[in-house]
Amino acid sequence: METFLFWFCGAAMVLGGLMTVVQRSAVVSAVWLIFAFVAAAGIFALLHAPFVAILQVLVYAGAIMVLFLFVIMMLQGPVLEGERRRMKPALWPAVAIPPLAVLVLVGTRIADHGTAAFTTPLPAGFGSPTHVAELLLGRYLLAFELISIALLVAIIGALAIGKEERKLPWK
Amino acid sequence: MAIVLETLFKILFMFLLIMGMVPALIWAERKGAAFIQDRTGPNRASIAGIRLAGLVHPIADVLKLVFKEDVNPADRHHALYNLAPWLVMTVAMSTYAVIPFGDWLTVGGQRIPLVVADLNVGLLYVLAVASLGTYGVVMAGWAANNKFTFLGGIRSTAQMISYELSMGLALMGLVLVFASLRITDIVAGQGELLFGFLPKWGVVVQPVGFLLFIVAVFAETNRNPFDLPEGESEIVAGYHLEYSSLKFALFFMAEYCHMVVGAALIAAFYFGGYQIPWLPRPVLEANAGLLLTIKLAALVLFSAFIAVLFLRRVQRERGKFGDARDREPVLGMVFWAGLAALAAGGLLLRPWAVGPVGADLVATVFQVLAFVAKVVFFAWLFIWVRWTLPRFRYDQLMNLGWKVMLPLGVANLAVTAVVLALV
Repeated sequence: METFLFWFCGAAMVLGGLMTVVQRSAVVSAVWLIFAFVAAAGIFALLHAPFVAILQVLVYAGAIMVLFLFVIMMLQGPVLEGERRRMKPALWPAVAIPPLAVLVLVGTRIADHGTAAFTTPLPAGFGSPTHVAELLLGRYLLAFELISIALLVAIIGALAIGKEERKLPWK
Repeated sequence: MAIVLETLFKILFMFLLIMGMVPALIWAERKGAAFIQDRTGPNRASIAGIRLAGLVHPIADVLKLVFKEDVNPADRHHALYNLAPWLVMTVAMSTYAVIPFGDWLTVGGQRIPLVVADLNVGLLYVLAVASLGTYGVVMAGWAANNKFTFLGGIRSTAQMISYELSMGLALMGLVLVFASLRITDIVAGQGELLFGFLPKWGVVVQPVGFLLFIVAVFAETNRNPFDLPEGESEIVAGYHLEYSSLKFALFFMAEYCHMVVGAALIAAFYFGGYQIPWLPRPVLEANAGLLLTIKLAALVLFSAFIAVLFLRRVQRERGKFGDARDREPVLGMVFWAGLAALAAGGLLLRPWAVGPVGADLVATVFQVLAFVAKVVFFAWLFIWVRWTLPRFRYDQLMNLGWKVMLPLGVANLAVTAVVLALV
């Protein structure tokens, strides 16, 4: 059962990623990316991490992709044929082979070791919100805070790049 | 095997509850609008002269939508255009999985918790599904390739981004109070008493959070005063403009499903879910016989009263229409008198002497009824607000979301955290 679910979610993820790259319309690409994110959440759920799985849907598939779609639509308008050309079919294998290779590699590893990784009994409360919170705000607090600072810097940078030059406060 | 079976039954119960409430709500919306605007409302559709105060109209509606021609715009994006209505409906239905509708049901000595999936991240699941809800609307707006539908989709996205934050912040206050993300824990915690007399309902411990949440739920369900994605006066019908027949029916049904889920969430988070105030489960079970007797007696009195009203109508309106509609009061009288007789027959079975197994069942039924009653009330609140308040202007909507609700949500969370740290 777990093996089947792994192959299902993994294949869905690779398919979603591939379609994201080869689609002509940016909006359809974004929709395929949402599909890939939801499939990734399925893999997290398989790995006994329900909290991370839900956050994957809530943050990536939900909030971030809604913003992406919003921006794409604001810029592109209700046009079906975007300006982007479709990727040359000759290049498709180049995009498809690396993720497929990873999928097959992991899949065969699972086939070799059985489903032990999925069915090994874990400490009680593993992957629960409490457990994740203890790690995040205890052992990995510094890394957590540093990442948040890095994101803040990125936001300010994006703002600086996006704004017209003469309107920046320091000019 | 047993767990599969009981889960299927729970899903079936929730499904029937929603699917039963959708036509009832469509009826309530029309009759409620008529009541608020001092009109009669729908009363023409009839089956052999029986009109049931407009309750036949939803059936006529369904038949109309099923047999209408399915008109599609020529330049649509085929896949997304067809996917959108199903996505809207699926998302609207999936939140119910984590809402508990009762405490437990004892079958063969085993306690079955009355919730489909008791996730330890249930509250986040609600938020995650709510955040996916907007995609159907956006896809519909974009794929129909029409400027008005497109504007509706864009508005829906912007609205969702603005109000989802406040919704999350409001719920975080609740999580701090009840110290759990599991919805069954939150509902169970609301069964306690505060200072010995006040039910510890969410609305009592988190009044500001409740206000923020209810406003955010209205915004997320795209109901008036937040129905800008379908603002008729500006963008014709918004995102579902190009849909017809059953595809439109799915959008229509999804709106009412969202209302039921919104009402269920408000009830579960802030009004104690299935809890009856001052009557915790042990008290319910101990007094099950008494409660059942009172309930049946009240049913007898109520039904008999309605039957008498119908009897007077029969006498007063004899031959009023001169057609099949004259049967209506007679049938009404027979129905209510029959119900009264049924309840009276139930009283003859000596409900006050109910055994422990029966007491357990009675307690469960009372709790489920309490939950359904709360859901019905809040669903009515959605209708009530829709016909009372005018629609927001777009800038007002954004100002409310970002400049009022977001700071209030942060302040509420901070105050809650400080108070909890001190107490």
